[in-house]
Amino acid sequence: MKTAIFAVALAAAAPAVTHSDSILTICIYAFLMGALAVSFNFIFGLTGQLSLFHAAAFGLSAYVSVLLVTRLHWGFWISLILAVLAAVIVAAAVATLCFRFKLREFYFAIVTMALSEILRLWIQNWYELTNGTLGISFVQKPEIWTPYGYITVSSSTSWYFVSLTILVAVSALCWRLQQSWVGRAFSAIRLNEQLAETMGIDVFAYKFLNFVLGSALAGLVGVFYAFYTGFVEPDYLSVTQSLDIVAMVLLGGVNSVAGPILGAFILTALPHVIDMGAEVRVILYGVVLIVVILALPKGLRSLVGRERHAT
Amino acid sequence: MLLEVRGITKKFGGLTAVSKVSFGVEAGEIVGIFGPNGSGKTTLLNLIMGMAEPTGGDILWKGVSIVGHRPFEIAQHGIAKTFQNPQLFPELSVLDHMKIATHLRLKRKLGAKRILTLSGMRDVVGEFLAAIADVLRLCRLDQYTDRPVSSLSYGAEKMVGVAMALTCDPELLLLDEPTSGLSQEETVNLEDVLRGLGTHGVTMCVIDHRVRFLSRLAPKAIALHHGSLIASGETGAVLRDEGVRSAYLGIHHA
Repeated sequence: MKTAIFAVALAAAAPAVTHSDSILTICIYAFLMGALAVSFNFIFGLTGQLSLFHAAAFGLSAYVSVLLVTRLHWGFWISLILAVLAAVIVAAAVATLCFRFKLREFYFAIVTMALSEILRLWIQNWYELTNGTLGISFVQKPEIWTPYGYITVSSSTSWYFVSLTILVAVSALCWRLQQSWVGRAFSAIRLNEQLAETMGIDVFAYKFLNFVLGSALAGLVGVFYAFYTGFVEPDYLSVTQSLDIVAMVLLGGVNSVAGPILGAFILTALPHVIDMGAEVRVILYGVVLIVVILALPKGLRSLVGRERHAT
Repeated sequence: MLLEVRGITKKFGGLTAVSKVSFGVEAGEIVGIFGPNGSGKTTLLNLIMGMAEPTGGDILWKGVSIVGHRPFEIAQHGIAKTFQNPQLFPELSVLDHMKIATHLRLKRKLGAKRILTLSGMRDVVGEFLAAIADVLRLCRLDQYTDRPVSSLSYGAEKMVGVAMALTCDPELLLLDEPTSGLSQEETVNLEDVLRGLGTHGVTMCVIDHRVRFLSRLAPKAIALHHGSLIASGETGAVLRDEGVRSAYLGIHHA
């Protein structure tokens, strides 16, 4: 806990030290990807469901918010709420389908991947509304309240603090739930579903809650990601994007909150730090991942002490 | 009648695992379930626990049918079950297991209000630590509290299963071959624990192959053979029953 507070304080003070736009940009992407990885790990790390729907929830919310703001000229915050609600509704339908049919492991991953591809292709082919593969570029930025009045989040520094706040909020929520009786029920389901059920745990309800909440958080991050980049495209929902999130979590370490953040930072910053050709970068990315998974099955997080779990 | 099983039948394809079995359990009773391997004992307990759907018949809990209820609902009604092979949560410590098993206690105590406990930083399970310590002491697991279950002996692992079931605070405890794989010393220990529970009024249905153990523990018994009930009543009488001796003990009379 103390380490987490220290890390947040250090991160909050960073813009005072560096004014480099490229460093702040890397940090903003890393914070948002970190929050996305934490929300994925909330599903994968806690209940053991390998959801390949995560990028779809991320991208769906991004599209809904962008369409509401650009086409209907609605405000950012109401669009944000409706976009997250859209992710909740679709995730609830996916969860009902998967968990009613008791899909697990490989089967769950394949079905969530197929459903996320259906969603991506639907968005991609609805050209009149979504502009197809070209995506939608827009200039609108969110306005937030500060003690100094309303400000438009457009500068790198303001986005830095907004993305840091999202990372802290998502991590704190996931951490708190992981430490509670709810997190304990999630762990029980991951470790022995049959035993969990005979202990009075409603496996369907808890898996459903876990999947929908994790997907809703992905949706929340997706909205901010889209408004930071000022662009949204069907690739936001791609399986590759989901697999990138999986890679971040595996690299950093499953079943902790700090692990996915660490993984997200490394995989987001790596391409920027290592100034090589795209082909070499992709190979290096893969090699780093394979070496870490083979040498440290519990991820890089396992090198720096053990995180306390609720269970 | 706490539990009433009425003509319960379970078929797996062409195989009839349990055939029209009827018996009842009064509150506070300990009922032994005898029968050779494959006689349908475990299937019977699985049917009561909702882990298998019966093909026919009915199961009444306090007079209300619980057929079609899922295992978590049956557990919420007040029935707990242990498994023949220890079912545990790998990686976790004994205390972690007990904390998971407080799920129902918390639900009974706070109901939907337990959601509110998530807003604070306090772990609400702290309130049950005294009860957990009592159960661990009763099951003689208190010296293993912080040990990972993977480091325990087979007997201690089985005892963790019993301790978890007790932490659920059940009205009826279903024990599936609790002594299988246990040493003589562990069996004596288990018998002491179960006798202790019996004196506290915990109702139990116990499957076991150790006839002496079960006849000492359970004043009442039923016997199954090829899925059918072949005897029921006072344990001594059931064990003296010619059909039971023939089917179970392999004693044939001309």
